[in-house]
Amino acid sequence: MNTDKPSRLVALALVPFALFALALMVYLTAELPVRIHLPWIPSLGIEASLHIDGWALQFILLITGIGGFVLVYAAGYLAGDPKRKRVFVLLLAFMAAMLGSVSADNLIVLFVFWELTGLTSFLLVGTKHEDATARASARQALVVTGGGGLVMLAGLILLGQVAGTYSISELIASGPNWINHELVPLALVCIFIGAFSKSAQFPFHFWLPNAMSAPTPVSAYLHSATMVKLGIYLLGRLHPAFDELLLWQVSLITVGVVTSVLAMLLTLSERDLKRILAWSTVAALGTLVMLIGQPGDGAVMATSAFLLAHALYKAPLFFVAGNVDYAAGTRNIDHLSRLVRVMPLSAVAALLAAISMAGMPLSFGFVAKDLIEIAKHDGQIFAWASYASMFVSAMSVAVAAVAAIRVFWQHNGNASTEGVHEGSPLLWLPPLMVAGLGIVLGLVPHLIGPLIGAAAESMRPALQYEELRILLNGHVLVSLVTASVIGLAFFIAWDQLHKLLERGRELERFSPSAWYDLLMRAIPAAANWLTPRLQHGSLVGYAAMLLGAVVVAVVPALVIWNRQWPAFDPPSLAVVGVSLLLVVAAIAACRVRDSFVLLLTSGLVGFGSALLFLFLGAPDLALTQFAVEVAFVVVIAAILLRVRRLDLEPAPVHNTKARTVVAVAVGTVIAALVLAATAGLFDPVLTQYFAERAVPDAHGRNVVNVVLVDFRAVDTLGEIAVVGASFIATIPLLLLVRARLAKSRRKNP
Amino acid sequence: MIWVLAFAIGAMVAAGVYLVLARDLLRVVIGVSLIGAAANLSMFVAGRVGTMNPPVVPLGETLLAADAANPLPQALVLTAIVIGMALTFFSLVLVLAISQETANNDSEKLREAEPPPAANGQPVLEDATTSEHPDPRALQEVR
Repeated sequence: MNTDKPSRLVALALVPFALFALALMVYLTAELPVRIHLPWIPSLGIEASLHIDGWALQFILLITGIGGFVLVYAAGYLAGDPKRKRVFVLLLAFMAAMLGSVSADNLIVLFVFWELTGLTSFLLVGTKHEDATARASARQALVVTGGGGLVMLAGLILLGQVAGTYSISELIASGPNWINHELVPLALVCIFIGAFSKSAQFPFHFWLPNAMSAPTPVSAYLHSATMVKLGIYLLGRLHPAFDELLLWQVSLITVGVVTSVLAMLLTLSERDLKRILAWSTVAALGTLVMLIGQPGDGAVMATSAFLLAHALYKAPLFFVAGNVDYAAGTRNIDHLSRLVRVMPLSAVAALLAAISMAGMPLSFGFVAKDLIEIAKHDGQIFAWASYASMFVSAMSVAVAAVAAIRVFWQHNGNASTEGVHEGSPLLWLPPLMVAGLGIVLGLVPHLIGPLIGAAAESMRPALQYEELRILLNGHVLVSLVTASVIGLAFFIAWDQLHKLLERGRELERFSPSAWYDLLMRAIPAAANWLTPRLQHGSLVGYAAMLLGAVVVAVVPALVIWNRQWPAFDPPSLAVVGVSLLLVVAAIAACRVRDSFVLLLTSGLVGFGSALLFLFLGAPDLALTQFAVEVAFVVVIAAILLRVRRLDLEPAPVHNTKARTVVAVAVGTVIAALVLAATAGLFDPVLTQYFAERAVPDAHGRNVVNVVLVDFRAVDTLGEIAVVGASFIATIPLLLLVRARLAKSRRKNP
Repeated sequence: MIWVLAFAIGAMVAAGVYLVLARDLLRVVIGVSLIGAAANLSMFVAGRVGTMNPPVVPLGETLLAADAANPLPQALVLTAIVIGMALTFFSLVLVLAISQETANNDSEKLREAEPPPAANGQPVLEDATTSEHPDPRALQEVR
C-alpha cells in the first residue's frame, strides 16, 4: 500500500494554484470590493451575486493557496491508496463549496454553500468507512455542524426579514435602521449557534478532535485551515453591522475565551499527535471568536493576522503529523522519539511551524501576537479575557514544543526509529514551503500588510489602514517572555499534567460530548416508542387519526377567528323536506345491517342531494347526480351479488360509541365550517365575469355548460382523462376477479 | 335556509365518517361516497343559495339575470360529481377483488403490507428465504 510512487493526481493541484494566482491578480489590479451580479430566484429576492472584499479575498487566498499544497501533499500521502480518486474529487468539491461560501453576497446562497461544505466534509471524514470510529466521527461532524447550520438558517431568515434584504452588503449598509428591532437578538443567537457549531466553539467543540479520523490531508485542510474557519468568516462578515451590540461582544468574548481555555486544558489529556493539534486548533478558533467580539481597530487587525498565521503554522504541523504517522505507523507521542535522525526535512518543517505557533520573533506568528498585544495595550481587550489569552499563548508554546521538539529531538526510551524514513518530496515539500512562508512573512510583514489591512477594513469600515506597525515595546516583550517561560514549564510537566487530568476523567459524564451520545441514543429510542403507536397498521385507526386531526385543527381556528354566523332566514318547504330526507337516510345508512338495504339508503342520500340541487337552481347538477345514482345502484348491485357469492363472514361491528363520537364531532365541525364560510362577504367578481362573457365570448346560454366546455375546457379534458384512467384501472381488477371465479368453479362444480 | 342545509351536510358527513370507521370494506366505500356528496353540497352552498332560477341567459339577452343562481360552483361541483363517481366505482371493484383474493372483507385483517408486531413488540421483517427479492449476498454465493 505504502508505495513511494506519487500519484499522478498531483497535477490537479494546478487548479487551486491557478485560482490562487487569479485571486492575487484581482487583488493587485481591481479595486475592492469586486461585485458580480447574477440573478437566481428573483421572485424570492435571492441573487447568486458575488461580493469579494478584503475579508473574502483573504479567505479565497487561504482556500486556494493552502488547498494547492494540500492536494500536492495528498498525492504523496494517498499514493497507492485505492480511495485516492474519491478523496481528490471530494477535496475539489469541498474547495468549490468553500469558495462559494466566502464569495456569496446573499445569506441564502451562503447557507447553501455552507451546508455543502458540511456534506463534503462528512464524506471526507468518513473516508475510512470500513472503520466504525470513522463512521461515528463523520456522523457526529454532520449532525453537529449540519444541525447548527439549520438553526443558523432560521437566524438568517429572521435577519433577512428584519432587515428587508438578503443581500449581505445591503444588510450591512442599512444596519443602523434595523439593529434595534426586537427580533435581532433572537436572529443573532441562531446565527451564533450555526457559527459556533461550524467553528467548534463551546459547547459544540467536541466534534473537531473526533473528526481527526479523517486522512491527514483532509484534517490539514478542513479542520485547521478552512472549513472550521467558516464560522469565523461569517462572524467577521457580520461584524460591521453588530460590533456595537453588547450581546455580540459579550457572547463572542465569553464563548471564545471559554472555548480556548477548555480546549487547551483538554489538549493535555491526549496522547495522539493529531488530536493534540486538533485541540489547539479549537483553542485558536476560540481566540479568533474572542478577537471578533472585541470592539476597536486593533482587534480586527489582530483577527485577520492571526487567521493567516494560524493557517500557515497549523497546516504544516498537520502535514508533519501525517508524515510521522505515515513513516512510523503511529501518532502516539509515547512511541515517537528523536525522529530528526531519520526525518530531518519534516523536522525542519515542524520546527519552522512551531516557531510561528509559539509566536517567536522573526515569524509571522510573532506579528499576529504583536497585533493582539497592541489591541490589548490599547485597552480594547477586557482584562479577564487577557489573562485567559496569556494561558492560551503559554499552552500554544507547549503544544508547539510537543509537536516539534518532543517528537523530533527528545529521547524516549520506549520507541525505536528502526525502518522509519522520510517519504517522497510530495510529503515534505508542502509543510516545508508553507511553514517557510510563515517565517518569510514574519521577516517582511509589510508585504502582506495591505491584505491584512484590506480584510480588517471590510470588518470595520471605520478603520483606515496605513501600514502594518510592529511594536517591540516592553509590554510585548514581557508577555512574550512570560508566555514562553510558562509554556516551557507546561512542556516539561506535560506528562505529569496529563496524569493529573486523567483523574478528572469521571467529569466526562457531564461534557457536551456525553450529551451528544445521550441524544444519539434517545432519538432511536423515541422513534421505537412512537412509530408503532403512529403506524399501527389498522386502517380504522389511521382514518380516526386523520379525522380527529381535522377536528383538532379546525375547532381552534373557528373559536379564535370566526366572529360571524349567518342570520337565520326562513327556508322554503321543499328544502326543509329534502334536508329531513337526507338526515333520515344518513342515520339509516349507519343503522342497517344488510348490504342491500345499506345500498338503498345510500342511494337515497344521493337522490336527496340531487333534489336539493334541483330546488336550488341547479338542474344540470340534479341531472348529473340522478344519472350517477342510477349507475351507482346498478354497479353496486352487480358487485354485491358477486360478494354475496363469496359467502364471507360479515366483518364485526365494533366500537359503535367511539365511532359515533368521532362522527358527530366531524359532522358538527363541517357544518360549522359551512356556516362560517357563508357568513362572510361574497366576492362576485368571477361570477359576474362568467355572467357577462358567456354569450358574447362563448355563444352559449347555459352558463354552467359554457364554463365547463369553454372557459375551463382544459380542466374538463383532464377530468375526462381521470375518469377514463380509473375505468382502465378497473379492467385488470375485473379480469382478476373473473379468472379467480373460473378457477373456483372448476374446483367446486 | 343555510342553517338547514348546514345541518343536512353535517348529518351526511357524520354518517360518512361513521361508515368509514367501520371494519367492513363495503361500508368504508359507501362512507367515502357519502362524504363526497356532502363535500359537493358544501361547495355548492359556499357560492350562496336562495334562488330557484337556473343560470341560463334568456333568449335575446346577453347578460345573465341578477336573480339567477351562481354558475361557478355548479361547474366545479359537476366536475366533482363525475370524478367522485369514478373514484367510488374503482373502489368498489377494488373491494370486490380484495375480498375475493383474501376471502376477507374485514379491514383489520388486511395486514399484508403492515404485519402486526411480533410478541416482543418489534416489527416483523420479511423472511429472506421467502422474499421475492432475495438477499444479494445469498445470490452471490449461488454464483
